[in-house]
Amino acid sequence: VSGREGQELVAQEPGAPAAGMRRRRRLQQEDGISFEYHRYPELREALVSVWLQCTSISRIYTVGRSFEGRELLVLELSDNPGVHEPGEPEFKYIGNMHGNEAVGRELLIFLAQYLCNEYQKGNETIVNLIHNTRIHIMPSLNPDGFEKAASQPGELKDWFVGRSNAQGIDLNRNFPDLDRIVYVNEKEGGPNNHLLKNLKKIVDQNAKLAPETKAVIHWIMDIPFVLSANLHGGDLVANYPYDETRSGSAHEYSSCPDDPIFQSLARAYSSFNPAMSDSSRPPCRKNDDDSSFVAGTTNGGAWYSVPGGMQDFNYLSSNCFEITVELSCEKFPPEETLKSYWEDNKNSLISYLEQTHRGVKGFVRDLQGNPIANATISVDGIDHDITSAKDGDYWRLLVPGNYKLTASAPGYLAITKKVAVPYSPAIGVDFELESFSERKEEEKEELMEWWKMMSETLNF
Amino acid sequence: MGFLWTGSWILVLVLQGSPIQAFPKPGGSQDKSLHNRELSAERPLNEQIAEAEADKIKKTYPPENKPGESNYSSVDNLNLLKAITEKKIIEKDRQSIRSSPFDNKLNVEDVDSTKNRKLIDDYDSTKSGLDYKFQDDPDGLHQLDGTPLTAEDIVHKIATRIYEENDRGVFDKIVSKLLNLGLITESQAHTLEDEVADALQALISKEADNYEEQLSKPTSRTENQAGKLPEKVTPVAAIQDGFTNGENDETVSNTLTLTNGLERRTKTYSEGDFEELQYFPNFYALLKSIDSEKEAKEKETLITIMKTLIDFVKMMVKYGTISPEEGVSYLENLDETIALQTKNKLEKNVTDNKSKLFPAPSEKSHEEADSTKEEAAKMEKEYGALQDSTKGDNSNLGGKTDKPKGKTEAYLEAIRKNIEWLKKHDKKGNKEDYDLSKMRDFINQQADAYVEKGILDEEEANAIKRIYSSL
Repeated sequence: VSGREGQELVAQEPGAPAAGMRRRRRLQQEDGISFEYHRYPELREALVSVWLQCTSISRIYTVGRSFEGRELLVLELSDNPGVHEPGEPEFKYIGNMHGNEAVGRELLIFLAQYLCNEYQKGNETIVNLIHNTRIHIMPSLNPDGFEKAASQPGELKDWFVGRSNAQGIDLNRNFPDLDRIVYVNEKEGGPNNHLLKNLKKIVDQNAKLAPETKAVIHWIMDIPFVLSANLHGGDLVANYPYDETRSGSAHEYSSCPDDPIFQSLARAYSSFNPAMSDSSRPPCRKNDDDSSFVAGTTNGGAWYSVPGGMQDFNYLSSNCFEITVELSCEKFPPEETLKSYWEDNKNSLISYLEQTHRGVKGFVRDLQGNPIANATISVDGIDHDITSAKDGDYWRLLVPGNYKLTASAPGYLAITKKVAVPYSPAIGVDFELESFSERKEEEKEELMEWWKMMSETLNF
Repeated sequence: MGFLWTGSWILVLVLQGSPIQAFPKPGGSQDKSLHNRELSAERPLNEQIAEAEADKIKKTYPPENKPGESNYSSVDNLNLLKAITEKKIIEKDRQSIRSSPFDNKLNVEDVDSTKNRKLIDDYDSTKSGLDYKFQDDPDGLHQLDGTPLTAEDIVHKIATRIYEENDRGVFDKIVSKLLNLGLITESQAHTLEDEVADALQALISKEADNYEEQLSKPTSRTENQAGKLPEKVTPVAAIQDGFTNGENDETVSNTLTLTNGLERRTKTYSEGDFEELQYFPNFYALLKSIDSEKEAKEKETLITIMKTLIDFVKMMVKYGTISPEEGVSYLENLDETIALQTKNKLEKNVTDNKSKLFPAPSEKSHEEADSTKEEAAKMEKEYGALQDSTKGDNSNLGGKTDKPKGKTEAYLEAIRKNIEWLKKHDKKGNKEDYDLSKMRDFINQQADAYVEKGILDEEEANAIKRIYSSL
């Protein structure tokens, strides 16, 4: 129990989180990380402090406001903050989309501070990550919900209060249900990536979407994210797509075309979290069904069906691969436990960040060296394509193996290349596409000669 | 050798002759052709010379483009090929009658029996003339001279036919026949297509001259296409011209006439171009307001964008993706939208010159920052009142004196660490002071930006600025 002198409220059980009141800054600190719950002002301050300490590699921005007007703050860490450097992959962590699932929020605040500290200490792993990745950390997607949950008196937080946003919308059921569309397309033919191309208009006009949801969708559309994780609480597992079952049943393994890499990504998180990856650990609650859990990971649908979730939305509307990580059996555990949650998850969070640098990456350009944006990169044998970003850059996460990659774009001749992919790092493969007209140019010259020859012959 | 080869062509062509029977022809055309042939063969020499001259003229002034029924088939192909071989071919009745200023000359030109001409056509002055299209037959003359058709001629003929037909199916049929005959390979077929496209383009250019339009030279729209043959541009021009001329739908043609008037392709973006864009008053004004010297590239890009968008709209209307009304209204909205966005962008460029976060070369950060800011601004409108009150609550609750102190301390500590790290990191001694002042400026700017976006409140920003200025 940490020193709680100066606590102002009276009727509190010792050891209970001091909900609903302001406290002095704690002494329970380590290197600038205060292991306590941060309400909205403290959250903001914590991020500002990180920015002030690491000004040259960080930037704070907001993707929008919650229903009650709190900024959805993001701390960005990169060697060139605010800029997408061509070829540099983008990564995001989002926490606390259910307001009462508090551990993720805190872990991300700790992580921001940690990355800044370690960078300045010269920690090579961190320095490399920050130089080669653009990391976006959003500690809370539902600050309104958190305030509600945190304001509850007493030791045990309600399992539901504060879960949804201020409008009562469960944000993780609020995203357009692209799974449903994909399942139909699987039967009847149709795409399973980049669905709903004219998304922005649809999003803005959709009255059912919460402002937080809309903000995230715009964010996803604006930045070419490659990898992402969505932090939750209430269990202890790393969950991967698809979340919604194909048949609509309550439990059913629903694999997506990238099942292998997703299993690997989920494992990259869980394996560094001792409690999560412990196969023999008892379930969080006596009657919980953990039968689908394998080494701390689970397919979403196999565990239980979730329609309209953010994780699958990422995969089906953009190039971003996202998993959902459940960090704690208790959704809003006592403050004293936060430090140990940090210890348990610190390495997982870094390990998962490093997964961004896997598979194949490169540029798609034309013969003049100009980038071709929105080119399609397809992998032979994996029925899910990705596209190149504005600078022609692409990143295709893959488990080790031999692959054939094809880059194509309208008006250009497609090119296929073979690649041998190790576990890590990502293999660079660039494509130079020849346009139809260029090819015709070459052939035209051939014909000119042929005609000349022909006419000469006839001229006899 | 040449004769032998010619002979083989004849054989091949004759063999090919039979399917042609399936195409609609007036009865007894065969007899007539024979009959005509005799007549034409007996024509005086001066007529033949006149025909040759007319042909030359015709090459420079192609006949007016009229929609014709595409009865073309392998027969047309054969016409070409047979011309080389000086062989009588099976003739086909040309259903469509074309009026042309050169009809008389065309009539005269038709020395060769390759043309199907009814006797009555010769003597019926009410008919405007035969639909020779481009089947005047210099080949005949060449044949007589012994010189064969050149490659360029063949290409030109095909191109002219396509142009007049306004149907590239003509080309497809010819090519497929050539392929089937094994006379050309697939690759050569593609190349031929290009040849024809070029010739077509030239025809259109001349056509444009003829109608007193400015010369439609293809331009490089973007740096990407510099140096390449503007294949995309050509068919569009061809289609649009053909479309305008041949389409019976008045609304569509009206729309396109309007936009056609706007459509000018010139190589350089000179001052003269702006006049064409005067249909877009806002855009035009904006262009004028841009300093040509300083922002020449900006100007050029804008014009390129505008013209590209106009083309796209026209294509969409042409292919029925949008209605002509929608196309017109879109173009009208386009003007304002582009002008506005560009104006914003230029303003932003000016204000963000110093900002570390928005370096000039990166437009992505502009858009990104814009969208996040935009989003915030949007939300502000809706939830402004709420936002203010909650913010007020949050900063007023509890803590009181302790809180601000704690916060300031934390910020101070963070800034201290930053400066320490900077000093360690930038080993160059002289730069130390410089960096600090630079950092101070940057922080000041950032602090203000953050206040604007709601990331910092004023107090905090001021505190931070104070800390930096005291260093």
